[in-house]
Amino acid sequence: MEMIRFDNVSFTYPLADRPALSEVSFSVSESEFLVVCGKSGCGKTTLLRQMKKNLIPYGELTGEVLYCGEPVESLDDRRSASEIGFVQQNPDNQIVTDKVWHELAFGLESLGLDNATIRRRVAEMASYFDIQSWFRKDVSELSGGQKQLLNLASVMVMQPRLLVLDEPTSQLDPIAASEFLQTVRRINRDLGVTVILSEHRLEEAFTMADRVVVMDHGGVLSCDAPRSIGAKLAQLQHPMFYGLPAVTKIYHTVMTDREEHPETAETYAGEAGPLTVREGRLWLKEEAATAELDVQTAGQILREVREEKTETRPPAPRRADTDLAIRTKDLWFRYRKDAPDVLRDLNLQVERGTLYSLLGGNGVGKSTLLKVLQGILKPRRGSVQISGRAAMLPQNPQALFSEITVEDDLLEALHYAEKTDEEKVAAVESMLQLLQIEHLRQVHPYDLSGGEQQRLALGKVLLLEPEILLLDEPTKGLDPFFKITLAEILKDLAAQGITILMVSHDIEFCAAYADRCAMFFDGGIISEGEAESFFTGNNFYTTTANRIAREYFPGAITWEEVAACIRRIR
Amino acid sequence: MFREGIGERTEFAEYHPWVNLVYYALVIGITMFSMSPWFLAATFILSWFYSLLLKGRAALRLNLVFVFWIVVVMALINVLFVHDGDTVLCFIHGNRITAEALIYGISAAVMLSSVLIWFTSFNCVMTAEKLIFLFGRAAPVLGLTLSMIFRYIPLLRARYGEISMGQRCLGRGKVEDTKPPLKMRLRQAGKNASILISWSLESSIESADSMEARGYGLRGRTSFNLYRFSRRDTAMMVWLCVLGALCIAGCALHKTEAWFYPVYKLHPFDMMTAVTLIAFILMAATPLIMDIAGELRWERLENGEQ
Repeated sequence: MEMIRFDNVSFTYPLADRPALSEVSFSVSESEFLVVCGKSGCGKTTLLRQMKKNLIPYGELTGEVLYCGEPVESLDDRRSASEIGFVQQNPDNQIVTDKVWHELAFGLESLGLDNATIRRRVAEMASYFDIQSWFRKDVSELSGGQKQLLNLASVMVMQPRLLVLDEPTSQLDPIAASEFLQTVRRINRDLGVTVILSEHRLEEAFTMADRVVVMDHGGVLSCDAPRSIGAKLAQLQHPMFYGLPAVTKIYHTVMTDREEHPETAETYAGEAGPLTVREGRLWLKEEAATAELDVQTAGQILREVREEKTETRPPAPRRADTDLAIRTKDLWFRYRKDAPDVLRDLNLQVERGTLYSLLGGNGVGKSTLLKVLQGILKPRRGSVQISGRAAMLPQNPQALFSEITVEDDLLEALHYAEKTDEEKVAAVESMLQLLQIEHLRQVHPYDLSGGEQQRLALGKVLLLEPEILLLDEPTKGLDPFFKITLAEILKDLAAQGITILMVSHDIEFCAAYADRCAMFFDGGIISEGEAESFFTGNNFYTTTANRIAREYFPGAITWEEVAACIRRIR
Repeated sequence: MFREGIGERTEFAEYHPWVNLVYYALVIGITMFSMSPWFLAATFILSWFYSLLLKGRAALRLNLVFVFWIVVVMALINVLFVHDGDTVLCFIHGNRITAEALIYGISAAVMLSSVLIWFTSFNCVMTAEKLIFLFGRAAPVLGLTLSMIFRYIPLLRARYGEISMGQRCLGRGKVEDTKPPLKMRLRQAGKNASILISWSLESSIESADSMEARGYGLRGRTSFNLYRFSRRDTAMMVWLCVLGALCIAGCALHKTEAWFYPVYKLHPFDMMTAVTLIAFILMAATPLIMDIAGELRWERLENGEQ
């Protein structure tokens, strides 16, 4: 049975010059798990919102969206509320009441159920989601991951048949995100609820999906099983290809390689691409066995690939003198006398003009370290030497926005600067150019997408002309394409001699772009080195591509390197 | 054990919110109609005990300050502005200062401070959750609104912290030990508040969506709660109501009052006064006795385990 059917749907926002959705047609059958992916701003949210009656945005809609054969906009309110569940991005903003149990009951109260029924359903849900232990807590005491699970549970308690999730994990750290997605998968498997999920983190979502919809500029580019979705995009050489999981990218790049194997590339339809690291490893093993690869040739191939890479992208020029921008000595910090130490005997040295990234789990004190370096917190013991002006970009860009247009907001950053008005305007102008947001100058900061907001916040910080830039989770909630743009901006800044220290969960990003990486754990730095040697040395805490290839090519850390290596052995 | 106060998780606080509410309504209500020294003493002492039992040392200073100022101010005002009464103590600027006016001032002050001190323990027993429940009974919307307010206060506080932190990243406001001039600090505070408002308005759109997506606005909304009125609650309610009825009867017969003007005169201490007083003391002391007994039982249990 068809759960949802989009029939030639086009949608235009008022005053927009081009449609947000154009001629979208697809259908989702009962109990299916559908993943929707695409650049931010490609119409994913607009598409998902068409499925929930009260969330349909204002604008011009043609075509039909049918839920179980009935147009969504003429569904009964009660039915729409209970049968179609919708979970949004931000964990905090969706919570309405002060207690966990009350939040769970909220939807059932709206439906007008009596106390005994609500009690029973809430109890069932709390047990299913394993939230008994925080059932009576205040919502403000929960972690981000718990909050989002609560949002999911308080939708599930209404027993929906269709669950729509709009980038639910974009504000979560990787571990909480993974837990959340596993729960969604369990709902789909155990209860047969139809799931439509939009995501940027596709590594995990791909393994759960029955089908994947790839969107671009408001249209559906491709809709296929996750194992074969890469083939078409690779053949088209479409930019969306770069947003796919590493395994998929490696496999399909190799399989559709026109230069060396034109015959397979043409006929290839990609039915059986690997989805997980395990499958990727097995596939590589097979390839290696057919090619009779030995350790020496593998090493040779990797060296060749490396050389080619350095030819195309020369490394940032290293200064001869080891000029340190940040240097800490035996740094100790804790928040209160009886609290545990957050920083223990931390020694950090960052050279001028490098992009240095500090990796580590949640709550290990990465952000605290940045605050100490910025001078917002005072170390309890030890010394911090910062040579140059430091500025820090906080995790939430909203904390910086105070004006009504992008332009004014950038100008506001210069409020205390000792410059003439002309100089200020010129500085703003060049910043708009640098960040490629000139076309957005008259837009309200809150109307920007996540990536654009990040850029604006970065711009505000950069206008202070820092010599040292401290970034707190700069890739949080960004789509893979904007990550590439961000990396380019950061590389440019580093080339200008600005030192960048970022803390992040994002292994793939750091592996691809950082000059040096360090692992932060238990208040100190455990290991440190150039990106390549750092990840080669790790066993578990490394990129997906490296985990696939490390048996043969231990030094290959990005998917491009791994794909290039495999192409050579075929 | 009682130094820091026994807090919110007490025997009496675990009763149904209605029971808690009836208790406080009776105790505070009767206190407000009491001017006879017997009743004033009873309510004053018991309110102190209960407040200290729940909140410990922390309440002591605050209560003392309350009582001191109320007594001083009210006694003074009454003495200076009321010149009725037969017993003249002295003259100030030709005005009579009478003992009756002084006694009245002190009695009223004791009554008022007792009410205030009852409210300090009320605060502890009647948690936000219980108030939300009670208001929700009166009007579901009111209960939900309260619940949303209690949700937003910590959220806004956290957000404000993040904003001022973000602004400090831009080198605004207080950095390390330097303190910018007052004008700049005021400007920064205004800026932070304005950011907080636009951020919160923006995010409240999402909250509204989330409410509507979960059927808010459908007809016939109910109000869910976790409280159950058990047999224990019924028994307690009956006990409170019987004692309360006795006290109210006593009040109606003016047993809790005293006459101040022209001459301070107490009601003769008859049988009914004694019954009312005992009923009042028993009623007001019920939670105290229960909480202390409960606390001792826990102590025994925990010591027994060792």
